[in-house]
Amino acid sequence: MNSSHETPGKAELEKLAKDFRFIITDMICKAGSGHLGGALSLVEVIITLYYRIMKTDPKNPLWDERDRLVLSKGHAGPVLYVALALKGFFPKSWLGTLNKDGTRLPSHVDRIQTPGIDMTAGSLGQGLSCAIGMAVAAKKDGKNHRVFCIIGDGESNEGQIWEAALFAGHHKLDNLIAICDYNKLQIDGRTDDVLTLEPLADKWRAFGWEVFEMDGHDWHAIYETINRASEVKGKPRMIIAHTIKAKCHCQYENQVSSHNIKVPDEATYRKVIEGIPHDHELNYCED
Amino acid sequence: MDYAKMEMRLVYAHTLNELIEENPNVYCLEADLSKASGTNPAVLEKHPKNFINVGVSEANMIGIAAGMAVEGKIPFCASFTCFASRRVYDQITISVAYANTNVKIVGTAPGITQGPNGGTHMCFQDLAIMRAMPNMHVYSPCDPFELRSAMKFMAKSKQPTYMQLVRSVVPQIFNEGYQFEPGKAALLREGTDVTIAATGYMTQFALKAADELSKKGISAEVLHFPSVKPLDEKAIIASAKKTGAVVTVENQNIIGGLGGAICEVLSEQYPVRVKRLGVPDKFGEVATEEYLFNKHGFGIPHIVEAAASIVRKNGIQE
Repeated sequence: MNSSHETPGKAELEKLAKDFRFIITDMICKAGSGHLGGALSLVEVIITLYYRIMKTDPKNPLWDERDRLVLSKGHAGPVLYVALALKGFFPKSWLGTLNKDGTRLPSHVDRIQTPGIDMTAGSLGQGLSCAIGMAVAAKKDGKNHRVFCIIGDGESNEGQIWEAALFAGHHKLDNLIAICDYNKLQIDGRTDDVLTLEPLADKWRAFGWEVFEMDGHDWHAIYETINRASEVKGKPRMIIAHTIKAKCHCQYENQVSSHNIKVPDEATYRKVIEGIPHDHELNYCED
Repeated sequence: MDYAKMEMRLVYAHTLNELIEENPNVYCLEADLSKASGTNPAVLEKHPKNFINVGVSEANMIGIAAGMAVEGKIPFCASFTCFASRRVYDQITISVAYANTNVKIVGTAPGITQGPNGGTHMCFQDLAIMRAMPNMHVYSPCDPFELRSAMKFMAKSKQPTYMQLVRSVVPQIFNEGYQFEPGKAALLREGTDVTIAATGYMTQFALKAADELSKKGISAEVLHFPSVKPLDEKAIIASAKKTGAVVTVENQNIIGGLGGAICEVLSEQYPVRVKRLGVPDKFGEVATEEYLFNKHGFGIPHIVEAAASIVRKNGIQE
């Protein structure tokens, strides 16, 4: 059981983040293509959730008292797979199988395939409603766990997100914490050019949510903000995480093209992997 | 309770109450059409804690139901067929069928029974599109006792399911003890010259057509398919072997629903002449049932004529 976290120090967190970014990039390269940008933008948030915040039990992924996480922007699966593998939800060797024939780690998260994935997602806009269903069920049963849901900024174009926002506000679901990965880029361009979300915080406030904003790459800010949000009663909580798409990748950082990269050959692989800072070749698939 | 004379939507509501009383994990989800579904006030007043109205947001309803199902709840989500199927097709595909969540979706007022709501609300393709979804069962019960038995099965199974619900009073066909089984057809009338295969709302008319055919000296077998998926392949093949001719009747587009399912089975395993009756790939409109039956050719006289014609084509004289 992982209900009380040993607090990793800042140096340890930085090393974890560096390893996460290398593994994510390498997995995607070896798969031949993948959603790099939106996975790299979530590294600090996912590490904080799984190493410092959430109650989970890697040996019992369906532990009833665990905190739930719905990764509604399901294409960011690789960042979650790294956390789950390093935590021991499944063998690290699976990380080398991303998107390969017969894999248990598909590009978009799948609750049937992968231990630790609480809900299937990939068709944008649906996961927040599912997280609400989990939060409603917990309330009905008098359970105290939290339900986290990570949505994308591009995903927030979907009407269903706002149906869900209305419902959670109306029902004052204070066991639900949503996090918007606001990296300000979507497939076709800058969110402000494609379909602006601004004023985003005001929108969520208007729907009855308590809204927080944070630097989604600042360890202290993430930890403090999620904890402060957890204490709010009588409202659902939205944390707008200001992030940078493909953070730390020297070719792709803050580039629209990072959304889904293609790695067709060895030369491209070398170039892409060299773009992510790493100290050594990690044998991350060895348990 | 006298279910035989009750509106089907009230049978739905009272049965849902029983299911909630047996298992408090059963929930009634509505999207602002709870009065139309019959659950308001019947379920709302009796089991307010198990009643969730999401407002006019069907996509959200399906997602909430999926999330609740992941946590062990058994949500029955109702709306008009058009909103319960085609409007939320992707939500059902991904959050329910693909994610294998134990959600029960109830499409009310199927096909032409939308009457005054007309073309926007008449969904003629729900059986077809729901049937084409992997991991989805598709039911269309024909009377109050079959509805009750189907709902009891749904509450116990872990199977994602779509069910059509006619809202009005319909004639009693089964007795209280009838047991619905998915993938099992009910042989309502034995015959030797032609098989009439029907589902849901149309089964009552198929039976009446069989009576008319009998007066003409044609012996019609009537097979009712409460479960369009899984389909009782053995039953339709056995009947086709006996009669050599099949007429399918459904309150739907003739493309892809019961008629389509039966053609798939027979063409591969025992080809016989088939005539599909229903709506011939047209949209609905505001109209009476009689007008729509006549316009699209799937009322009692049309079933009779189609059956007689297919028998003639097979070389048997009236």
